[in-house]
Amino acid sequence: MALLSGFAHASELARGTIVRAVLADSPAQQRDLIVSLAGQGDPAIPTLLEAWRKDSLFLYDAPDGTRVPIQLVHAKDSADAQEALRVADGLPLLDASGLPLRLVGADLTPVEHTSALRRAMKSVVDLLDLASPDTEKRIRAIQTLGFAQEPDKLPLLEKRLATETDPSVHTVLREAIALIGLKAPTAGAKLAALAELRELHTLASSDLVKLALKDAEAAQDSALIDAAHSAVIAIETHRSTVNFLGTLFRGASLGSILLVVALGLSITFGLMGVINMAHGEMIAVGAYTTYVVQNLFGEGLSLSPFGVSFTLPGLHATGWGYQSYFAVALPMSFLAAALVGIALERTVIQFLYRRPLESLLATWGVSLVLQQLFRLVFGANNVQVSSPAFLSGHWTINEILLGWNRVFVIGFAGLIVLGVWLVLTRTSLGLLIRAVMQNRGMASCMGVRTQRVNMLTFGLGSGLAGLAGAFLSQIGNVGPSLGQNYIVDCFMTVVVGGVGNIGGTVLSAFGIGMTDQALQQILLNPVLGKILVLVAIILFLQWRPAGLFATRSRSLD
Amino acid sequence: MSRVAAFFSARRNPRSISRGELFAVGILAVLVVLILPFANQQGWISNFSINLWGKYLCYALLAISVDLLWGYTGLLSLGQALFFSLGGYMIGMHLMRRIGDLGQYHKPIPDFLVFLGWTDLPAFWRPFDSFPFALAVMLVLPALLAWIFGYLAFRSRIKGVYFSILTQALTYGAALMFFRNDLLMGGNNGFTDFKFILGFDVRDATTQRGLFVVTALTLLVVYLACRWLNGTKFGLVQQAVRDGENRALFSGYATAHFKLFVFIVSAIIASIGGALYVPQVGIINPSEMTPEKSLEAVVWVAVGGRGTLLGPVIGAVAVNALKSWATRAIPDLWILLMGGLFIVVVLFLPGGIVSVPAKCRAWFAARRRQSTDAEASAPAVAVAKTES
Amino acid sequence: MPHAILTVEDVSKTYDGFRAISDLNFYLFEGELRTVIGPNGAGKSTFFDLISGRAKPDTGKIEFGSDPASTIDLTARNEYQINRLGIGRKFQTPSVYTEHTVWDNLVLSLKGPRGVFASLFHRLSSADRDRLDELLKLVRLDSKRDWNAGLLAHGEKQWLEIGMLLAQQPKLLLVDEPAAGMTDEETHRTGELLLSLAGKHSIVVIEHDMTFVRQIAQNGKVTVLHQGTVLCEGKFDDVQANPKVREVYLGRGKVR
Repeated sequence: MALLSGFAHASELARGTIVRAVLADSPAQQRDLIVSLAGQGDPAIPTLLEAWRKDSLFLYDAPDGTRVPIQLVHAKDSADAQEALRVADGLPLLDASGLPLRLVGADLTPVEHTSALRRAMKSVVDLLDLASPDTEKRIRAIQTLGFAQEPDKLPLLEKRLATETDPSVHTVLREAIALIGLKAPTAGAKLAALAELRELHTLASSDLVKLALKDAEAAQDSALIDAAHSAVIAIETHRSTVNFLGTLFRGASLGSILLVVALGLSITFGLMGVINMAHGEMIAVGAYTTYVVQNLFGEGLSLSPFGVSFTLPGLHATGWGYQSYFAVALPMSFLAAALVGIALERTVIQFLYRRPLESLLATWGVSLVLQQLFRLVFGANNVQVSSPAFLSGHWTINEILLGWNRVFVIGFAGLIVLGVWLVLTRTSLGLLIRAVMQNRGMASCMGVRTQRVNMLTFGLGSGLAGLAGAFLSQIGNVGPSLGQNYIVDCFMTVVVGGVGNIGGTVLSAFGIGMTDQALQQILLNPVLGKILVLVAIILFLQWRPAGLFATRSRSLD
Repeated sequence: MSRVAAFFSARRNPRSISRGELFAVGILAVLVVLILPFANQQGWISNFSINLWGKYLCYALLAISVDLLWGYTGLLSLGQALFFSLGGYMIGMHLMRRIGDLGQYHKPIPDFLVFLGWTDLPAFWRPFDSFPFALAVMLVLPALLAWIFGYLAFRSRIKGVYFSILTQALTYGAALMFFRNDLLMGGNNGFTDFKFILGFDVRDATTQRGLFVVTALTLLVVYLACRWLNGTKFGLVQQAVRDGENRALFSGYATAHFKLFVFIVSAIIASIGGALYVPQVGIINPSEMTPEKSLEAVVWVAVGGRGTLLGPVIGAVAVNALKSWATRAIPDLWILLMGGLFIVVVLFLPGGIVSVPAKCRAWFAARRRQSTDAEASAPAVAVAKTES
Repeated sequence: MPHAILTVEDVSKTYDGFRAISDLNFYLFEGELRTVIGPNGAGKSTFFDLISGRAKPDTGKIEFGSDPASTIDLTARNEYQINRLGIGRKFQTPSVYTEHTVWDNLVLSLKGPRGVFASLFHRLSSADRDRLDELLKLVRLDSKRDWNAGLLAHGEKQWLEIGMLLAQQPKLLLVDEPAAGMTDEETHRTGELLLSLAGKHSIVVIEHDMTFVRQIAQNGKVTVLHQGTVLCEGKFDDVQANPKVREVYLGRGKVR
């Protein structure tokens, strides 16, 4: 109760101050009154100051001869009149009979404001957020103050520091205080600020600290130069750590996608000696499936392949119902790609076993056909798949941004590898697959239905690519040639890892993914990085021609 | 059963030119080298058509280079488009210098360099003012690249699909590089707007006709040279490498050296094709060296008939003529047609177009034999004999 | 005592933890015909792989040449270099060039320069042709010289491969199961051929068919391999009577 009354009191105080400011005689007086609002948490302050700046505060000449500051709010009616609220208490202005008055803005005198006054209002509003209950808002306000480096804001920040309990805001406060300290008049204070910044070594402070170093060099103050220098070094060291870990993270997520795609490629190649150039298109099948599922959950989807237009009706789901589309899209993209893969196996590939070069060519034909079909059905332009909310945020750990979508991809890839490993080693299908891989003829003689095993394996491999497509739709756009961007890298992954070898594929996928990202980071040039990766792979094969883990054979060819 | 087996394996290696083949090639040569240009001069064949056919013949050179590797040596290279484009780029550099200051910026250096802010010619561009130099680099650079890459690949015994994947990566990497502006090779747009070649106006109909004749003659020479190569013991070893590399290795042949030699020769042939292509088509850009272009060339060979020399030529001309028609008539569907054609040929006609006559003959022979109720013991030999 | 033409000493070879050959010692003298027998998995084919350069030993030395002053270390050379020294090999499964004619198969194997440029300008001399014709008669394929080798029957392929081996005129012949897939008559003839070659050539034969082994080992020695090492060595009858050999074979199959 006491708190409430205190709050009400503060509110009245703030409103009263604004009324007095509106009615004050000189601009200087007005300014002083407004500045005195700084640091007060009253939510009425930003509203009223904003109204003032936007010319919706007016002076009403009351019948009793007093001038009442009012705010016109809500929509204008047919007579251009609006509802009027008193600035003093925020209550409607009443006429003599006690009914709310409606006034026309054009008939009244707006309260004037000079540019100095507007600046003062803005800084007051900025400071308001210092006390905001929203952590994000508080941090932003503090950072703004810190970067502005105005020494007169120092007392406010220090006051806040004493009461602040949130550790992340606390750090930002220290940073802001130290940044302002860089402009301090005494060398001692500057040194202290630099020492503080060195200890905090935040990336945000980098530019200002470098500026301070330049100033110190200009002033030829060796103690300051040293201090600034060590602060810069601390920040840069931190920056390279952040970049390095960020690169590792991005490399791991790229590697995870490569891994899931390459795993399917490796299994089908190992099992059937068939190189599937259309494997990339299985990625696109998965991605487009995700796109379709998303639209079915939302507004529906209009397609016009081959001049035939039709519309798939949508569920118009919202909120969590809509967000959960991804949980449906994942199995659907696996299934869709697996079915396409099985169809491909039945119609083309089953005739090309152990003829790898021919299979490469025929499946390239399939790849062309599929790409063109995507173009005809979904259009030549990229389509966008929006991420569900639970995948679009990120974690920040020590200034390293970890996108949830990428974290999810890495985690899910791990599960998939585990799953595939379990399928291959613990199920009867896996036993059959391995048997056929090692000796097709013998397995067939032993009564293994090799045709069925081939079909299922091909479905599995293609389905994995489809899953990778669902992931990719969360990271970038989906287009007809989506698969082409990854297929060369995937072939490389299989070649380096050794055909049909899960362990090798895992190692080489992460190796290639991370090398790729690291080289991009170092060279600041994605293309040169890619080329170097290719060169590295060719050189690697000099050392291990059959990949990381080769399967040895005693036959002549 | 043995009849079928005999039919499939009875493709003997033609060690020397048969009279029939000589006749066919001779007629084609006369037609292409003499009659077509003459008809063009008389106005019976449009300049557009002769230009188009010149392009097809350049593609035929590329197809032969693919076939020399794939059909004869068992190495499916997906990097031949790279060598083709390199040849084109080298001649293109010379043609860019021959534009002089007639470009849009009217500066003595190529337009794209002006656009990139250059005022002087970069050092490595200077020697390309000389046509002989450009010609020499056109031959040497692809050979050198093939030598280095081939040495590394064959030394570590990379073969089969692995070789295909690596050559694909090679051309992919090179295309990425050429797409960049800072390579100073025209970036995305490559080279175009050529004006003169050896003092002749490159857009003039007479010049184009001359280029067509040169292309046709080059193709003839390359064809005969490859035919000769197949007739030598080298040709035997080449195909031995294809069918049983380890056997050849244990017979004392350093198969890596043979493969390297073929790889270099076919790189040079592809490069010559590209060098002739650029002045006729008037443009070269990095999209010509993507893996897809290489694969397209492989399609031509497969459609025409691999392991023969006439096959790639027929395939390159036929598929590209079809493509020229289809891209205009059914732009949306031609890729479907192309992909479908490819699948069908690989699945049902592994010998390509050139195998069709032999297949028909065998089919008729089999029918006749069935109807005359011949002895069952001899057929395998009989078919083998007729085929050879 | 003369120096061995092929010296294999303390050689070991491991494949993924499996010891295929362990501490093998083997000496072959010039002109000798040696038969190597042993149960499946005894390391016989691996033994040939090591000599012919298909695999490299982990430890031990393999040397070729009967002149002790100029023996050649085979472990430092690869397949084609070893072949060019005069070591020819016939594989267990017949490996001929299936798309080449019988004649071309022999042309490819004929002794002569093997380089890229030599092959570009190579021409068969009339002496070469005579030699090839002779070989065709010897392996009884003269009526099929223009057949594609892929069309030959299994036994004929074996003969062709023997012909190819002879065309190389090697000093040392490594012959892996030559009689497999042959009729009894053909097997016998193969034995006679091998016997007639002994003396001029040094020969190592791997064989399972004990009738055949008895035929070709009538004058020479037999080496029994077991678990990658030499179990015993000697005349066929002695070896056959050896209790250790009997035990090894009876464990896995019996001596015919």
